[in-house]
Parts: sequence; C-alpha cells; structure tokens
Amino acid sequence: MEHTDPSSAITVRGLKISYRTVRSFSFKTIFSKKHNMNRYEALHGVDFDVRRGEILGVIGENGSGKSTLLRALAGIFSPDEGYVNTHGANVSLLAIGVGFQKELTGRENIMLSGLLLGFDKKTIREKTDEIIEFSSLQRVIDSPVSTYSSGMYSKLAFSITAVLEPDILLIDEVLSVGDRRFRKKSARRMRELISNADRTVVLVSHNLESIRRLCSRVLWLDAGEVRMIGDTDAVLAAYEEYMD
Amino acid sequence: MKPTLTPTTPSSLEVPAAPRRPLRRFGADLRRFFPYVTTSAAASLKTDVSSSHLGWLWWILEPLLFMMVYTFIALVVFQRSMPYFPVFVFIGLTVWQFFNRNVTQSVTLMRHSRGIIRKVYIPKQMLMLEALSVNAFKSLISLALVFVLMPFFKVPFPVRVWQILPELLLLVLFTFGFSLILMHVGVYVGDLSNAIHVILRLFFYLSGVFYDITSRVPAPWNYYLVRVNPVALVMASMRSSLLYQTDPDWIWLGGWTLVSAVLVALAIQLVYKQENSYAKVL
Repeated sequence: MEHTDPSSAITVRGLKISYRTVRSFSFKTIFSKKHNMNRYEALHGVDFDVRRGEILGVIGENGSGKSTLLRALAGIFSPDEGYVNTHGANVSLLAIGVGFQKELTGRENIMLSGLLLGFDKKTIREKTDEIIEFSSLQRVIDSPVSTYSSGMYSKLAFSITAVLEPDILLIDEVLSVGDRRFRKKSARRMRELISNADRTVVLVSHNLESIRRLCSRVLWLDAGEVRMIGDTDAVLAAYEEYMD
Repeated sequence: MKPTLTPTTPSSLEVPAAPRRPLRRFGADLRRFFPYVTTSAAASLKTDVSSSHLGWLWWILEPLLFMMVYTFIALVVFQRSMPYFPVFVFIGLTVWQFFNRNVTQSVTLMRHSRGIIRKVYIPKQMLMLEALSVNAFKSLISLALVFVLMPFFKVPFPVRVWQILPELLLLVLFTFGFSLILMHVGVYVGDLSNAIHVILRLFFYLSGVFYDITSRVPAPWNYYLVRVNPVALVMASMRSSLLYQTDPDWIWLGGWTLVSAVLVALAIQLVYKQENSYAKVL
C-alpha cells in the first residue's frame, strides 16, 4: 500500500479520470461503430497531498481539469485509475442552491438543501435562524422561493452553504452573489470560512489575486497533469510567466 | 459551535481496502439519507398539490375517473363484465399506476436530477427511493379508496385482507428493482424514455387492468399470462384476496418475491458500481 503522510487531509495518487465509455447513445447508433468510442482523459495520473488545515489553490487554463479534479475529490466522479483518500473526513463541494424546490418556502428549502449536503435535521434546525439572519430574508423566508428575485435566491443559497460548515471545503471559484452589500458580506464570510485553521480547503480560481491572498500552496494543472505544486509565490510566478 | 456532520461522501474513493458489501452499504446509506428521502418526498407531494387548483383531490379523482372510463369501455363498448367490476378495475388501476409511475420516472430520473448529482454525492438509489415513496403515498390513497368502494358495490367483507401484504411486498420489490435498472440504463440510452411508453402500453394491455385474463384469454395462455408477469400476478392476487375470497397462487407469488429480492440486490449493486460515471454523461 502506498505510503501517505499522516498529516494529510486528502491523498491523491495516480488519479485518472476519463470520459471515454460513458457517452449517451441512441438506438440509431447502436449498430454504428461510432457509438461510445469517444475518449477524453481529463486527468492523467495526478498525485498530491493536501495537509490538514491547509488552503490549496488550484490554477490552470480552461479545460486543464480543475473542475473535474474538484468533483473527483467530492466523490461525484469516480477515478478510472488511482484513488482519492479523504481519511474519513467530511467533504463538501460548495454547491449553491442544490436540491432547491421552487414551490417550497425558503425555510423548507434550508432543511432540504441542508439534508442533501449531509447535515442532520437537528444541526439544520439549530442553524436555521443563523442562516435566515445571514441571508437578511427574514420577511420572505416563509414565502415560496418561486416568488424570490434571483438575488434573493442566491443570498439564501449562499447562506445555507456558508453557515453549515464541512471539514473539507472544495470551492470552484470564490463566490460573490447578491447586491453590493451582500457581496461584501459574502466575501467576508467566505474569507472566514476559508481561513478557519481547522478547515482544509481546496480552492479553484482564475483570480490569481484571490489565490495569492488566501492560499498557502498552489497546484498548477496543465492539460490534466500536475505541472507544478508548491509555495504560492513560486507557482504563481511560473504560471504568470507561462501565460505571458 | 461546530455542527455535527454526517458524511456526504465516501471517505475513500479508491479501493485500497475491501469495499463494503453493497447491501450493507445500502442499509447504512438508507439510515443516513432517510431524513432526506422522506423530507424530499413530502416536498414533492406538496409541490404537486400547490401546482394544481384541486390539489390533493387529484390523487383521488384521477383513479376514480380512470375507473369510470375503463368500466364504461368494458361494460358498454365490449359488453364484458365481472362481479364487482368497478372495484375490479379500481384494484387493477391502483397496482398499475404505482408500477407505471415509477417505471416512467425512473428512465429520466438521473437527467432530471442532474442539478443534484453534479453538485453533491448522494447514493442514486436514494433518488429512486424518493420517487417510489411519493408514488407509494398516492397509491395508498388509491388503495384506501378501494376499501371505501367495496361496501358501496356490495363486496362482502374481505376476511383474507391480510393477504394483500405479501402481494404489496412483491409489487414494491419488483417495481424498485426494475426501476433501478431502468434508471441506470436511462442514463446511457437517450431513446429509452420514448421506447418505454410503448413497452408500458403493451404491459398495460397484457396485465389485465380492465379485463380478467383467466376468463378472457384462452388456455393455456391465460395461466402463463397471469404468472409470468409479476404486475398481472399482483393484480389477480389482490382481486382474489379482496373481492373473491380465494387464495392467490402462493407458489408463484413466493417465487416472484424471491426473484424480485434478488433483482433489487443486483440493481443496488449495479448502481453503486456505476453511479459515479452518471455525472460524466449527464
């Protein structure tokens, strides 16, 4: 068995993710040799560790496999080869508005979305007031979500994820939603979430300033492979030079 | 204070140690996700109610109206009948609607749940279980109506009413196993949602929803038509138990229950093995 660092929160070894045999087909193409033959390998054997309490930034061009990597860490995509080990910790991809049903009230959607994110009813009930307060939607929280504006919808969705905190947080772009005031508040909350010393965070972003400000180490993905991993300044300098 | 978390993802996505047995894992997942399944099913029912003017009344009206349509066709157009015919049809419709709704939904379930399965990990069997719970609730209302209709049509008190429990068990097991397999296939075969309507229509006519297979289909076909199709078997058995005070064919009923339990186990295993590829396709 592969040796893993005991301080690791996430261990990734030889991770390959491909989309080769999973193309949807129709009856028309059953007898054609073309069906299911598409193969696209998004990650070609990626190895790295994320230490406990660390904020790891993931950078790379579009199509380099960043989002695929994040989904593999969250358990949404299965590895075709290699493995991801989260050592028993709870992992959550920061997903906004997941499981929302528009005919239900904001309060009911807090429960539904929270359960889907893996929290128990008791925890959600305890946190509901805090979520409502954070979202500033006290007046409409018992109205159906279908009556909300898109800004209100985003506020509620963000607040659920921001208040219910997992051990390992996976973030695909730092989120900033709602009006200017709420954007500032959500950015502050996001910084708090990320900066919590107990929480391991993997942050995917194109915003190099966010990465520089928040991350202790950076992983640079290039065409599905680890091009470089290490100290934030060193990796960002190499990446910027490459991009120029 | 930090909240107590229930894991949303498997702690290890590779197979370094022996993987848990699928049924044991299903049991653990069921315990963990049961609150989500029930809350989400209740939410779906609520959404169903709020999206129409008559709301929950449709759960009663729909089977009643279908009963009237098929009774009219059978009695007036084909001039065929059975003792307690409207209740006979109603039992058939109750069983059929449960099977039909689940199977129809299963084919597109993963596509319709795309927003969830691309964002969080949830064992996909739980999504089918949620749909099954919603349909079971509607069918239980329909079943309760059977008991309301029975005295109205002068059906004697069903002393063998307990027999419907094993009959319903078979219906639920078979429907769940069959739907899980179609849910899996539906991810990869886009055309299945069209084909399934034709297949289900054939199933509908072969199941004897509004006619009696035993007396209307010539021997020996009638014997097999009732027994090789578990949906037809459940319908015929429930009618025997509730209307005609006779025993169902216990051997076939028991045999199909065993087969369905195996089908469920295999389907659960299949979905666990393949579910993490679904998000790549959808």
